[in-house]
This record gives sequence, C-alpha cells and structure tokens, in this order.
Amino acid sequence: MKMKWFKTLAFTTLALAVMATAIPVASAASKLSGKIVINGSSALLPLTLQAAKEFKKANPKVKISASAAGSITGPQSVRKGIADIGAVDWDASTDVPGFKKFEGQVAHKVAVIPFAAVVNKNVGVDNLTTKQLQDIFSGKVKNWKDVGGSDAAIVVVNRAFGSGTRVNFQIKALNGTDFMSKGDNYKEVKSSGDMKTAVETTPNAIGYIDLVYVTSKMKALKINDVAPTEANVINGKYKVWGYGYYMTKGQPTGAVKAFIQYVQSKEFQNGSLKKLKFIPISAMK
Amino acid sequence: MLEVSATANRQAASELGTSLKTSSGSTFGRRARLAFYNKSFKLICIACAVFVCIILFSILFLMGRTGILTFQHVSPAEFFFSTEWVPENEQYGGLVFIFGTFALTALTMLIAMPLSILIAVFLAEMTPGWLRTMLRPVLDLLVGIPSVVYGFLGMTLLIPLLRDVTGTTMGDGLLAAAIVLTIMVLPTISRISDDAITAVPKKYRDASYALGATRFHTIFRVVLPAAKSGMMYAGILGMARAIGETMAVVMVIGNTPQLADSLFKPTSVLTSNIVMQIANVPFDSTWNYALYLMGFLLLIISLVMIVLIRFIQRKGVRG
Repeated sequence: MKMKWFKTLAFTTLALAVMATAIPVASAASKLSGKIVINGSSALLPLTLQAAKEFKKANPKVKISASAAGSITGPQSVRKGIADIGAVDWDASTDVPGFKKFEGQVAHKVAVIPFAAVVNKNVGVDNLTTKQLQDIFSGKVKNWKDVGGSDAAIVVVNRAFGSGTRVNFQIKALNGTDFMSKGDNYKEVKSSGDMKTAVETTPNAIGYIDLVYVTSKMKALKINDVAPTEANVINGKYKVWGYGYYMTKGQPTGAVKAFIQYVQSKEFQNGSLKKLKFIPISAMK
Repeated sequence: MLEVSATANRQAASELGTSLKTSSGSTFGRRARLAFYNKSFKLICIACAVFVCIILFSILFLMGRTGILTFQHVSPAEFFFSTEWVPENEQYGGLVFIFGTFALTALTMLIAMPLSILIAVFLAEMTPGWLRTMLRPVLDLLVGIPSVVYGFLGMTLLIPLLRDVTGTTMGDGLLAAAIVLTIMVLPTISRISDDAITAVPKKYRDASYALGATRFHTIFRVVLPAAKSGMMYAGILGMARAIGETMAVVMVIGNTPQLADSLFKPTSVLTSNIVMQIANVPFDSTWNYALYLMGFLLLIISLVMIVLIRFIQRKGVRG
C-alpha cells in the first residue's frame, strides 16, 4: 500500500517535471508563421496581454505568447531571435544613458506612459524645478530645507539600473544627469510596486513612478509648476513622459505586422488602451 | 506515465493468454507481473536519482563556466578586493557583496544562536509535557512560512519600528536584515538543538545531580556540551538558510552597493544584488557573467556548509 502511494507520487512528479520543461521549450521555438512571441517590459505587459486577447478573437489561428522580465530583455530577446516583439520603455534603436542602441531593430510606438516624481505624505514641498530634482537625485542636496521644506534629511529611493522607468525619468525629468549611487539615505528598489511601498512608508522619501501607480498615500510633485496630469501631458506642458515601444528585427511581416497595426489602431488606442490608463499615441500630435 | 501503464496492461493481457494456453500459469503470471513491476520501479528510481545528479552537476558546471568568463575582462583581484561596483562604468568590484553576505550571516548567527539555544533548553529541559507537545508543532509551522512574507512584514512593520526606536532616517540595512533572518532561522535552529538536547542520555543528568550540581550547572556544564555537535549541526543548517535567503533580505537591506560601516547603512549582499539586477542586464556581458560568478560563490559556500554538516554528523554519531 505504502509502495503504491509512493509510486503514484513518483509518476506524478515525473509527469509534472516533463510538462514543466516541455512548455517553455515549445513557446521558445518560434518563427513559425502565425505565432508571435513577445517579451520585455513589465510596464507594457497589461497592454500587450489585453491586445493579444482581442487580436486572437479576431484571428483565431494566430498564437501569441507574451511574458515580461524587464525592459532590456525585450530588444535582447529580439536580437537573439527568441522573441518576435520586444516591449521596451524607451526607443532601443537609439542610445540611451547606460544602454547602447540595438542595430537593425525597428521601434514602433504603441503607447504614451507618463511618470511622476512622488514624495511621502509628510514632505511639505509641492513643487520642484528641474535643477532641484537634479540636485536631489544626484545627491548634492541632502536636506528638504534647501528646497523649501522642513529641516529633515531627504531619503532618495531609486529604481535599479536597467529599469525603463529609470531611463525615462533620467532623460525627461533630470535631462540626463547621473543618479547618485551611494549614500546613507539612498536605496534602490526592484519594481514599481516596491517603489510605491517604499515612498508610502518612508518619511521624507522621494522617488518616481508611473503615473498610474500614484496612490492617495503619496504625493505627486509638480515639476516646474506643472502638475502631472493626463491633460498636461497631452497639451505638452508636462514633459516627463515616454513612449512605450515594440521592437522588431527589421520591418515586421505577416502576423507580427498585423498585431502591431492592431495595437496602433484607433479602435484599440481609444478603447482598451485608455481603459488601462495609458495615453493614446495619437493624442500627442 | 500513460505509456508505462499501457505497456503494463499489454503485458498483463499477454500473460493471461499464456496462462490460459498452458493452464498452469496462474502463479507464473503473477510472479512475472510482480517481477516486471519490481524491475520497472527499480529502473524509475535509478532514473530519478541519476536525473537529480545530472541536474546538480549541470548547474554547477553552467554557473562555474559562465562565472569564470568574468575574468576575461576583470582581474580576480578587482572582483574579490574592490568595493567599486559600477557596472555602467565597467567597474566590477564584488567585495561589497561578499563582505555583506558574511557580515549579515555573522550578525544573524550572533543574535539567533543564543536565542535558539535558550529556546531549545526551555523546550527540552524545563517545559511541562503538554506545553512541549504544543510548542513543537508551532515551531515547525514557523519554518514553513514563505520568506517573502517575512520580508514584507520586515519592510512594513520592522523598519518603521527601527526608525522610531533608533531615530535613523531610513532603517534599512544590516540590522534590519539580520533581525528578519533571525526570525526566519530561529525555529530551524531551536527545533534541531531541542532534538539534540533531548537525545542526551538521562544518566548524564542523574550523575551530575548526584555530584551535587544545580540545574543551571547540569544544563550548561553537562547537557549542552554533550549536545554540542547536534547544536553545531543546527547552527550550520540555519546559517545555510540565512546565506541563501533572498526575498526577505532584498526588501529590507536597501540595495545600495556600498560597504556597510554601520548597522543602518543601506547595503547589498550577493543574493539581493543578483535578484535586483539579473532581469536588467544585457546577455553575454561581463556584468551578466559577474552575477553568475556571485551565484557560483553562493553555491560553493552552501556546498562547503553541507560537507561540514556531514562531517559533524558523522563525528556526532561516533562520539
């Protein structure tokens, strides 16, 4: 009796192990017509999943598998041929701080992502200039009283190197100034969710985050007297936003092309994309 | 799984045929079937064992081979002795993380060891039976709590508490991580030490009391030394867990590549640095290789500890 039970267990474990190894192998073996593999930015994943769901409804023969790890994995997977589309939070066909451009890849804009500088509720400052932001994030200014707040040390919360949000914030809000990399009141976090918790729970903390993640437990700062709202992004006053891109190896063809066209279509941009709190690319003209 | 049972059925069916033909095969058929089951089960067991070995060695090989590639661009001296970890500028000094790992583990053991030995002594020597039967399962349950839960509680409860108590600005750092790890390894160490202390023969205690020793003397001079190897085994097991722990640590340590010269300075250890950066590094870059090398170091450290455990176990049996 005991042996039988053990046998079943052994078989099940084996079967599970075989299945677990078989699935990723199957999805990685791409390049068949009618199959699209998407990898990359986790910020764009909800959008990609929603688009894939709708696209599959219209084209039942196309298989789409989407996953996310980090922005930089997108164009890398495309270069290695693991993925057909690499989702990334910056234009990976150009050089950005820290990352060289990916030769031979074409960038397709799919969404507008606004970012906000956020502080803990206890911080008395509502507005910072670009210069003040640069000084804070490069570690030159260490106390809130130097930028019009109360006398308290500034806790800087940063995303880890390679984060798409970090790249965008560095280019758009800090005009490319380098971040500090050490200090007594400096820490790095792994994801937008960790950033949210860190800024919410640490007094005197400052960080930055996708606008959609801003909660009532933190305060989004005005930058150069402009509030981070969707309206201000669209009318061009608020500069801290970036495009989300799909990277492909050369110009896309077949199912991949059709899928990118679907994501860029008016129907998707003004429908599901807006519901997911991204801003349509057409609004930025 | 399906395939195997299908073969078995076919086998059984053909046996039925033979037994009908020869009309004497009932016992023979059963024996053949049993032999077949036994043989195939043995084969599957061997296959599983071989499978595990292959996996272990391929992990070691892959990590080692990829990690070694770091040294194409970085000198071992820089990796092991420089504290400048700025991969963006081609500086790959890993000392911060290696030091961090050892400092964190040492600090954890410093807090956890005395605490868990006291818990174990309490459990094994002083508790009434009914409380003991209640406390032991509770400790066992504590071992099973996922580490991310500890990390989350550390981030949301412990760090604000540390800030209030000590008046530091952030609270992240070695002390916060060591406290979280202590809570994590405490049940492991105290339960195994408890078993070790319980296993000390009663005649030792009787002899000690007969010589006129107090209970305190008996426990600290007779029982604990006798249970020493078991407690060391427990300590190393806890230490191995503390060294490899990632999720709980990454949430409270601050993740800044700087040498921790105070208990409240945000710093980083091998595990937390790997998990923070691995998703964002370019493939086939020195940076990537350096992270693999860190993983390899962790593997080596835990292998050494496991060998140590075996060694101590054997010694314990002999003594």
